[in-house]
Amino acid sequence: MARLEDVLDEGDAAAVHELSRAELERLLWKYRGLRKQVERDTAFWQATNDTLKTAYERLDEQERELAHAYQTIRQDLEIAQQVQHALLPKQPPDMLAQLDLAVYHKQLTEVGGDYYDFFRTREGHHAIGLFDISGHGVSAALIMAFLKAQFMQTMEQVARPKEIVEWVNQASLGFLREVRRYATVNFVVFGERSIRYVCGGGYGVLVRGGEIYTFSKGDPFIGIRRRPYTEFELSFYTGDLLALYTDGLVEAQNAAGESYSSRRLNALICAHAHEPVTEILRRCVDDYHGFRRSDADDITLILLRRREA
Amino acid sequence: MAADPEPMVHGTLMAGFAQACINLKIVAGRQVGELLADLDVSEWYPLRRWVQLEQMIGVTYQNVDPIRLKLGIEMMSLWYHRGPGRDVIRRGVDFLHFQTGSTGIVSVIRGPQDLVGSFDLREFDAAAGRAVIHSTTPFHRKIESGVLIGGLLAPGDLDYVNVHNDGDPDLLVVEFH
Repeated sequence: MARLEDVLDEGDAAAVHELSRAELERLLWKYRGLRKQVERDTAFWQATNDTLKTAYERLDEQERELAHAYQTIRQDLEIAQQVQHALLPKQPPDMLAQLDLAVYHKQLTEVGGDYYDFFRTREGHHAIGLFDISGHGVSAALIMAFLKAQFMQTMEQVARPKEIVEWVNQASLGFLREVRRYATVNFVVFGERSIRYVCGGGYGVLVRGGEIYTFSKGDPFIGIRRRPYTEFELSFYTGDLLALYTDGLVEAQNAAGESYSSRRLNALICAHAHEPVTEILRRCVDDYHGFRRSDADDITLILLRRREA
Repeated sequence: MAADPEPMVHGTLMAGFAQACINLKIVAGRQVGELLADLDVSEWYPLRRWVQLEQMIGVTYQNVDPIRLKLGIEMMSLWYHRGPGRDVIRRGVDFLHFQTGSTGIVSVIRGPQDLVGSFDLREFDAAAGRAVIHSTTPFHRKIESGVLIGGLLAPGDLDYVNVHNDGDPDLLVVEFH
């Protein structure tokens, strides 16, 4: 007589006839046992599948809700972007009569933190301000609008760059502290043959005859603390070139982790200072794009050259 | 000695349940950590923690009975193959005898008798392949059915095991061959 386990292991159907009645009975119970096991497993997997199906349906629903929320955020961001574009200056023609101007302004996200603007002091001098507001997004756009309003208002009160920035800082300090934001400031007023500037963060260089004069900085950002600002004066003659830029440009890194650096940018500007500002700007932007792996921040580069009177 | 005011469940039972959940992939991710957090197999835990474990499964599945049954089977498979089961039973039916006088259940739950209840072998007929267990424990009967199936099948000498209720949910009728 054959053993049930041997018959099952060998899989020889003909050998079933060699099984005893007791072994055949065992085969029947084995079959029923397997059926029960399949029944239990099927019920288990069915319950699991039903739950998965429900989970997928819930996931689908959440995905739709998420898509809807995302759409709302996108629309809000688009509006913020439009507001920010409206806040950025259109090139003022009377300023262009005295200065050649080229601007590269690129935001990392829909709404950025870099902000520049042209002003006219109460004494009639042209002025330019470049600011880097901490953070991005809608909050940066709101702070930009706030700062613009503060500067417009201050311009009517005082004329010197030191006074202007101090007024704005004093007026903004409480608000900016409350929202935990700050802004670098690079504020330049153009005189007949000179510029006067205040630099609280950011970068500024003046190029004349192959020489580079770097802006002295060390003053606080707007919104950090109440402190007097220092005003500097530099001669600014016909043909002199002024470059203002934010840290997004010079802190961008290449694949090796090296920063683009203000040294590299300043050398490039200096080497091509005799060229039209639009050409210098193009060279700088091309060089930057060739260097960096990806943008990590908003970028603003402004070039100005004194025209012949 | 005064009885514990609240029934206590042994850590091995908790760990067995948690491990069975993990093995069957009934829980995943963050929940696995929650299941096993601070679980010491030599400690006793309040019954409510066991209930929390069970509820974790209950809220996830719409049809939870097949899951409970499978969990009970897996728990006893772990008990036999990776725990002390081999030292306690040699054959499937030994697992039924092990329940005589609630021997099995008192090793995993203790406390006031009216809350702990019993899990007792009432009938045993080897020739007919039939036994009856009467259970009044606070554990879910489907898990207990799974425990019986898993305990009887684990040694591998039985070809068929099934547990069903004959109307009375506290009576677990075991068929084995």
